[in-house]
Amino acid sequence: MLSLFRRYRRFLIVSVLLLYPLVTFLVTGRRGRDPNFVDRAVIAMTAPLQSALNWAIDGVVGVVNHYVDLRGVRQENDALRLENMQLRAAVQALGEARAENGRLKQLLAYAEAAAGPEIPARVVGVNPVAKLLSVRISSGERQGVYRGMSVVTPDGIVGQVIRTTGGYADVALVTDPQSRVGVRVQRSRARGTAAGSGSGPLKLENMLRTEDVEDGDLIITSGTDGVYPPGLVVGRVANLEKKEHGMFQAADVLPAVDTTKLEEVLVVGSPYQEAAPMVEGTR
Amino acid sequence: MKFLVTVVLAMVLLTLESVLVQRAGLVLSRIDVTVVLLAFLALRASLLEGACSAFAVGYLLDLMSGQPTGLYTFLGVFTFLACRLVYSLVDVRGPVAFVLFTMGADVGHGLLAAFFGWLTVKDGSATAVLPGLPLQVALTGAAALVLHPLLRRIEARQERAQVGGLL
Repeated sequence: MLSLFRRYRRFLIVSVLLLYPLVTFLVTGRRGRDPNFVDRAVIAMTAPLQSALNWAIDGVVGVVNHYVDLRGVRQENDALRLENMQLRAAVQALGEARAENGRLKQLLAYAEAAAGPEIPARVVGVNPVAKLLSVRISSGERQGVYRGMSVVTPDGIVGQVIRTTGGYADVALVTDPQSRVGVRVQRSRARGTAAGSGSGPLKLENMLRTEDVEDGDLIITSGTDGVYPPGLVVGRVANLEKKEHGMFQAADVLPAVDTTKLEEVLVVGSPYQEAAPMVEGTR
Repeated sequence: MKFLVTVVLAMVLLTLESVLVQRAGLVLSRIDVTVVLLAFLALRASLLEGACSAFAVGYLLDLMSGQPTGLYTFLGVFTFLACRLVYSLVDVRGPVAFVLFTMGADVGHGLLAAFFGWLTVKDGSATAVLPGLPLQVALTGAAALVLHPLLRRIEARQERAQVGGLL
């Protein structure tokens, strides 16, 4: 028996190296595994290197940009002054609207959902496999980021946290083909689903043909998917297709955030968060 | 190449790739630096050493994918074995031949990844990455051209160190 093993030792070892991951893949499928000790060690080694590389590139780009910016600074100042005046006027008008909104909410005894934590993070790299479009950010368990939390920018939603380790987390982007987001049309409140398609716009799905949707409508999160808080901007409707037959209408949603040019993001605590450990006050 | 050198090199290259792809704003296409390493291992390493290194390289790629399922670990070993088989049939000498060899390996690697992805997801999302494959293969070819002299140099240095040790 031992001599047989010795004779076929190489063949057996190579077979195990080939078949073990295949069986693991076929059994676990698309779920993936939680990070183990080796995973955490590798991420702890590579992620700071990613941050350092980004820092070095930013430094070089910053020096070049500063020089270029200085050349057109006067014209830009004039334009910004004008824009500032317009924005101040708009803010005054919005202040009035907010005060009025507050009064109306009080009248309706509207219970505003408690906003979760907003954790800032920097994008340090993208994952090197296009099977799952995801980025790595510079905040993790230590900063209070947990799997399932949503990631946004001031422009709109970015994606969902899929894995966290010490000081870093991986975020699956909304453009990933496996991504589905519960959405509604801001104007008409019609509900549907925004599905990622890899490259290009998201696809608007499950929107009933009778619903009121038009090209250019703003699409926001509905909060029904248990991941994204309601009211976050997703994008705008384009290429609306109202077919003669069938239950649903189809359209593209041009994402509000360009996920290929992400730099800083915010991780938002979702009220539906289940992966975070129980802490005092939430029991 | 030695196992540890291959693992460290794979880690450094994957880290570099993740930053460069982000900076370049690539959507679907990636640079398959691990396939360059696997192709080089197929040409130079012994069966056992190469298979172990390919397993480790695939494991790293799996880990960096954000959702490790074991698929890329399997594909790492499989691509290494397939490349060895092809190498026994064709002559791969010089950088240009290595680039073509690597690009061929990347086509197989990409198609197999899409196929196995489709096996588990069974909808269009697994094949959505295929439009990015031609650019990915071209970028991987360019990476192979750049990395080939570096890999040769590392290998030569290791051989010299081994000979020095024996003497």
